[in-house]
Amino acid sequence: MGQLIFGQLLNGAIIGTLYGIIALGVTLTFGITGIVNFALGVFMMLGAYAAWYFTDTAGLPYPIAVLCAVGVTALAGLVADQALFRFTRNNLVNGLLVSIGMIAVLEATALLIFTATPKELHRVMPGVIQFMGFVLPKMKLTVFLVLLAVIFGTYAALTRTWIGRAAYAYAQNPEAAELMGVRTARLQTGVVVYSTALAGLGGALYASLYSLEPTLGSLFVLKAVEAAILAGIGSVIGSLFGGVILGVTEGVGSIYLPLAFRDVYGLVFLVAILLFMPAGLFAGRK
Amino acid sequence: MKNRIAVVAAALAATVSSAYAQDVVKIGQIEAQTGTLATYGWMGHQGANMAITEINNAGGFKVGNKTYKMELVSPDTRANPQDALIQLKSILEQQKAKYVFGPFLTNVFNGIEPYATQNNGKFLLMGGATAIHAQLGTPNRDYLMRTWNWDAGASGFGQLMVDYLKKQGSKKTAMIFQNDAFTKVAVDIYTPIFKAAGMELQVELFEPGTKDFSAPLAKLAAGKPDYLFPGYTDAVLYDIVRQATETGLFKNFFLVRGSMAPGLKNKDLIDNYIAYLPKYFEQAEKTEPKVREFITKYKAFYKTNDFPYDQAPLCSSSCYDHIYMLVEAMKKAGTVDDVAKVKAALMSITYDGLWKIRYDTTGEAVFDFDVLHMKKGGAITATRVNPK
Repeated sequence: MGQLIFGQLLNGAIIGTLYGIIALGVTLTFGITGIVNFALGVFMMLGAYAAWYFTDTAGLPYPIAVLCAVGVTALAGLVADQALFRFTRNNLVNGLLVSIGMIAVLEATALLIFTATPKELHRVMPGVIQFMGFVLPKMKLTVFLVLLAVIFGTYAALTRTWIGRAAYAYAQNPEAAELMGVRTARLQTGVVVYSTALAGLGGALYASLYSLEPTLGSLFVLKAVEAAILAGIGSVIGSLFGGVILGVTEGVGSIYLPLAFRDVYGLVFLVAILLFMPAGLFAGRK
Repeated sequence: MKNRIAVVAAALAATVSSAYAQDVVKIGQIEAQTGTLATYGWMGHQGANMAITEINNAGGFKVGNKTYKMELVSPDTRANPQDALIQLKSILEQQKAKYVFGPFLTNVFNGIEPYATQNNGKFLLMGGATAIHAQLGTPNRDYLMRTWNWDAGASGFGQLMVDYLKKQGSKKTAMIFQNDAFTKVAVDIYTPIFKAAGMELQVELFEPGTKDFSAPLAKLAAGKPDYLFPGYTDAVLYDIVRQATETGLFKNFFLVRGSMAPGLKNKDLIDNYIAYLPKYFEQAEKTEPKVREFITKYKAFYKTNDFPYDQAPLCSSSCYDHIYMLVEAMKKAGTVDDVAKVKAALMSITYDGLWKIRYDTTGEAVFDFDVLHMKKGGAITATRVNPK
């Protein structure tokens, strides 16, 4: 039993980083544009299919395919921002409506192009690591490390670069930031594009672990929003821990309680935290 | 004078329109064509659409002295029972269709069943949903026919599959299914079949949308079952088979729904992959002229070089053959309007198409199917089974 619990702790943490990378996009977009972008799930789906296409159809090596997928998703994010999202800045309801509309359109388009038959990438990195009696696929561990690096890299960029500090300044007081020379329109577009690129990266890495279907992003974005709220919207590192807590709760909860209600365990945990810490676990630690 | 011309023209238009309406047999179809459960309805729609176009292009079909054409009305239910109910109402009340194919999904059937029962005698509903089985032959459900083989019973494919599994020496099987309406029926069906065969069955259900199965697979593996009986849609099968083989937790698989593709993808890590398949199209294409012709026609019709080998076996339910079989029944009954006579004719014939289909006394389809057994490395043996 000990092995099973340890295994699920580790596995939950890995799944949690996937929630965390989307949660990071959610939290950044909300902080800078004032909208909760549920469409990040379809950008994740786009990244996943792009990685599959570049690897299995175009024959590119997987790392290059991931970079291409991130590029495609970022470009799609830029188009979506300029065509749609820039008209919804700081308008939560309009932003929500646009993002829900985008989900419907892009999922239906993906279904038309890729059909309902799941797509599965060949095994990028076969083999497993055996650790304390627990078997862990090598690729899962690699995905975990890459995502950790990106999340901590984003945190470092936000806290140690001029543009990062400008983003924080804007999130705290937009008018003051603008008066201090921050080009707010460009900053907002940059954050939206970066968030979609993060979702694309999450999707491209996801493609190396799981089969792909057009609705894959819907569930992930809900978990990501859950993780971002759990951590406290606006907290960069918090989004990682929010995701990990959610992943571990689901994994370990599934051992002792019926797996059929796995999604409930995370939600119960979220409600319990919000009862005592309404602003989230990491509120104040931006 | 102008008024008289207008009246005559209107009368002529009404006559022509009414004659046209009488010469078209509307066929409704309520299947999920998009969404995660679309695998089942998508192929049914593809096949029905193709058959109806072929019949119309050939000039229609004759019943008595009249020639009829067909029109397919097939909205997308997206596996949503509420949507399906509204669509069925529209098909029956506005489109005035008397023949409806589908649904394949149990949750959709449960959603439309009360309304359909209220309209007993006015139409025929020919679907593959597992939940239809229990309703067949019950009072006020003359409208109901099931277009798929039943799992249980002496000639049920589930029973025959478990018998096959027993012959492989299996003693304990672990079932991992999505927590939904179909699974509840499936667990009720397979628990007694396994018990009667003297085999143990462990059951674990998972939340719809689950992609990572590490926890349930590890939990099930602890019970040391010799076969894994995973899910019923390819959307989860790919992930379960991949994760179970990658971690070395399971090497033997047993399926009563789903395709061979997840097994073939992991063929070097699997010892046995046993699957019920209404037809193994890859092999049938080489040996059965009708199948070869269907594949050629499909590619031309949908202007594609890729035949959906994975989904084609699902054409065994409410699909291509069933449209032609319905036409034969209408011809035999001598009517397109009297649904009771058409049903009686359907029950009396055996249609020899892609499958040899007949209906038993309750109105449930019985047809030939394949048991596929893939061994390590990907070698497949197909055994054709003709239920009694």
